[in-house]
Amino acid sequence: MAQGIKDKVAIIGMGCTRFGERWEVGADGLMVEAFTEALADAGIERDQIEAAWVGNALDDINVGNSALPAAHALRLQRIPVTRVENMCATGTEALRGAAYAVASGACDIALAIGVEKLKDAGYGGLPLRTKGLHNDLWMPYGSAPGTFAQLAGAYAARHGIAPADLKRAMAHVSWKSHQNGALSPKAHLRGAVDMEKILGAPLIADPLGLFDCCGVSDGAACAIVTTPEIARALGKANPVTIKAIQLSASNGAELQYGEWDGASVPNTQVAAARAYAEAGIRDPRAELDFTEVHDCFSITELVIMEDLGLSDPGRAPADILDGRYDRDGAIPCQLDGGLKCFGHPVGATGLRMAYEVYNQLQGRAGERQRAKADLGLTHNLGGAPFNSVAAVAILGRLD
Amino acid sequence: MGSGIKAIGGYLPLLRLDRKLAARELAWSGLGMPRAGFRAVADWDEDSLTLAVEAARGLASPAPAAFRFASTSAYFTDRAQSGIAVDALALPRSTRATDLANSRRAGTSALLDALLSGSDEIIAAGEKRPTQPGSAAQLAYGDGAAAVRTGGAESPARLVGHASLTHDLVDHYTSRDHPTPYAYEERFVRDIAVAELLLPAVRAACASAGIEPAALAHVACADPVSGCWKAVAKKLKIAPVEHCEVVSQKAGDLGAAHALFGLGVALASAKAGDFVLLVGFGGGVDALVFEVVAPVPGAAEMAAMLDEGERLASITRFLSLTGSIALDWGMRAEFEQKAQATVLERVGRDMIGFIGGRDSLGNVQFPKSFYPVNPALTHPEELADVRLADLTAKVVSVTADRLNFSPDPPFHFGLVQFENGARVLMELVNAPQTGFAVGDHVRMRLRIKSQHARLGFRTYFWKAAPLARPQLGEA
Repeated sequence: MAQGIKDKVAIIGMGCTRFGERWEVGADGLMVEAFTEALADAGIERDQIEAAWVGNALDDINVGNSALPAAHALRLQRIPVTRVENMCATGTEALRGAAYAVASGACDIALAIGVEKLKDAGYGGLPLRTKGLHNDLWMPYGSAPGTFAQLAGAYAARHGIAPADLKRAMAHVSWKSHQNGALSPKAHLRGAVDMEKILGAPLIADPLGLFDCCGVSDGAACAIVTTPEIARALGKANPVTIKAIQLSASNGAELQYGEWDGASVPNTQVAAARAYAEAGIRDPRAELDFTEVHDCFSITELVIMEDLGLSDPGRAPADILDGRYDRDGAIPCQLDGGLKCFGHPVGATGLRMAYEVYNQLQGRAGERQRAKADLGLTHNLGGAPFNSVAAVAILGRLD
Repeated sequence: MGSGIKAIGGYLPLLRLDRKLAARELAWSGLGMPRAGFRAVADWDEDSLTLAVEAARGLASPAPAAFRFASTSAYFTDRAQSGIAVDALALPRSTRATDLANSRRAGTSALLDALLSGSDEIIAAGEKRPTQPGSAAQLAYGDGAAAVRTGGAESPARLVGHASLTHDLVDHYTSRDHPTPYAYEERFVRDIAVAELLLPAVRAACASAGIEPAALAHVACADPVSGCWKAVAKKLKIAPVEHCEVVSQKAGDLGAAHALFGLGVALASAKAGDFVLLVGFGGGVDALVFEVVAPVPGAAEMAAMLDEGERLASITRFLSLTGSIALDWGMRAEFEQKAQATVLERVGRDMIGFIGGRDSLGNVQFPKSFYPVNPALTHPEELADVRLADLTAKVVSVTADRLNFSPDPPFHFGLVQFENGARVLMELVNAPQTGFAVGDHVRMRLRIKSQHARLGFRTYFWKAAPLARPQLGEA
């Protein structure tokens, strides 16, 4: 494996808007809001940024394609700006672009910004595509809940777990995220919800009920990255650094080849293994202090716990019900409420995860602050279990 | 005559409306006849073409010289559905293909032409006819299809006589300006149809066969209105078993497919040496007499099909499925998926034929790709055609999606694995009452894949359905 970028890139400033139904603001305003916070946090001026990566997944209805919406909104002064898109993993992809630019020495200070303005679609859930190309002639066009719901039946079949028991563990995932979201001032959903309400909610895609599904939100988040040396020169004595950032994309094998049973997400396993290797992590259960994962649906988070190696195969339901991933558990997951409650403006989500880790590492997470917060992981998943892009990033302190 | 029927096939959609249910719903109005039996109801993603292809699937190997598609309810008016069927059945492009329309008699006329020419053909008739709520037609009609494979003198049912009459009796009509049937008085239609069309044609056909009408053992007569064949039989003083009536009772009047479906049921009952009369009606009449010399493949399955199905318990759902009412499905239903002719030209034949590819190491994948998905193969290569439509598969993962728009929710989809190893993400249809589960065995059905209402275009693909159907049970 290549040397990687461990500790070659520091994050010196981050910003994140309040996620939610932001009827009062467009994508430009969301970007400005997150960017302004990040600039202040970094203690630099806009024009010190030499390159930018903007992540936006669903350009058809909201932000618009290319670099230009971000370049215009932030009035970036003719610097190189690149739009990236990797479905729901777009936010981490933007961070990866900016981090690689700094690590390579191509620029000193770079910006990663993710944004999505979903609530202009006119309805709940993600907007629809209309291109009419090859895949449209055969591939079912199910909703996002529909694609991830299939993990549940497949997981139950693989491990011989009763659907009702699995559903209870899934409900606990959502219950926990609502508990955490209530402590996140910028979260979309801030109300705690009891287990019975979660279990009794109407079905969206069998067996996912309403509370098994994350919110669809407006929002933006961004990170300003530089070298550790420049970070120190800017007064960041012990900056947050990127320990690893890895990505794995399906080549179609899940859908077309072999015996994958639909009960896991192979790309998460691959991206995590690479990220652990890059960060030098040998025992993630012992070394990671907390995680922010792509809990687009409760069953997704349950399966991710195994794919990341934090639960043994078939043990995630029991670990979840035992509270291992609760706020006071051994490896808390979604301290900020996750996609489930903080919200999911697609292009911003990966950076929102990094924002929480970044704040936790610096002891700035307020009521949500984890006592020991030295190493945190983000997991950002695009697509569907059978055709995905998984991004895993690990953040820590330099010294 | 050295030609006959080599095999026959039929297809009925899963859902059956109990006409009593509709009659009760319409009791206040005095409308809603007929009130007995069932009406077969196509899913939203079935049309006359998909129904006809399903009926013809068992007849398509080896490939015939010609394929004829007969329907009065074909979706396209200037796009040959027979050509789409040729691709759906993976028949060679050298197949002669023709659409026949504008008469319920189109199926029997095409059959007679094929038999007289001695050509090896498939004649497939399918109907999903629009009707108006409250009309007798809405409950009397059914959706379904039948298909016949013609052959030579060795055929198990040989044509021994025939007669046709052309007579523009306007018993009912549909037109571009009146797409649902406008029907005239039944007593008038019955009197004229029996006296001027049916009786002369049946007599002439029997004479052509060299038999007396009394020699007929079975009949499949597509009555324009009920009671016509009874009147003919009474006049001829004969009492053969008539089989279209049971199709009407259990599935409905199948239009261009009706007589052919009735023929399948008749052939299922016939024994060697029996004479079977087939009568098609519409703008005239075709009467064909067959002598049965051996069981006709496919006939027994057609008879059994009449008793299979699932009751459709909701009148609103019935009205929605038949296009009689337009429910407000919300913004998600505004989604329109445009099909590009360029894409159809490049890959459409593989899509509608459900043809995947086999790589040089034997792995089968769908769809094909330049680089095989098999990781052991590291260079682009040409994949050999493998048709998946006729294989069974097993459900790997599945859900009932209630968020995604479907005209008949929920939207079932999941990953299925075929017996040859290919795996495909597919829509699933005809869900059992308990839903689909991992490990369920499924078979493939041709369905409408996408419908662009504003542009009036649709594409077709295959969807997975349970292997077996429930028995309908007593009304």
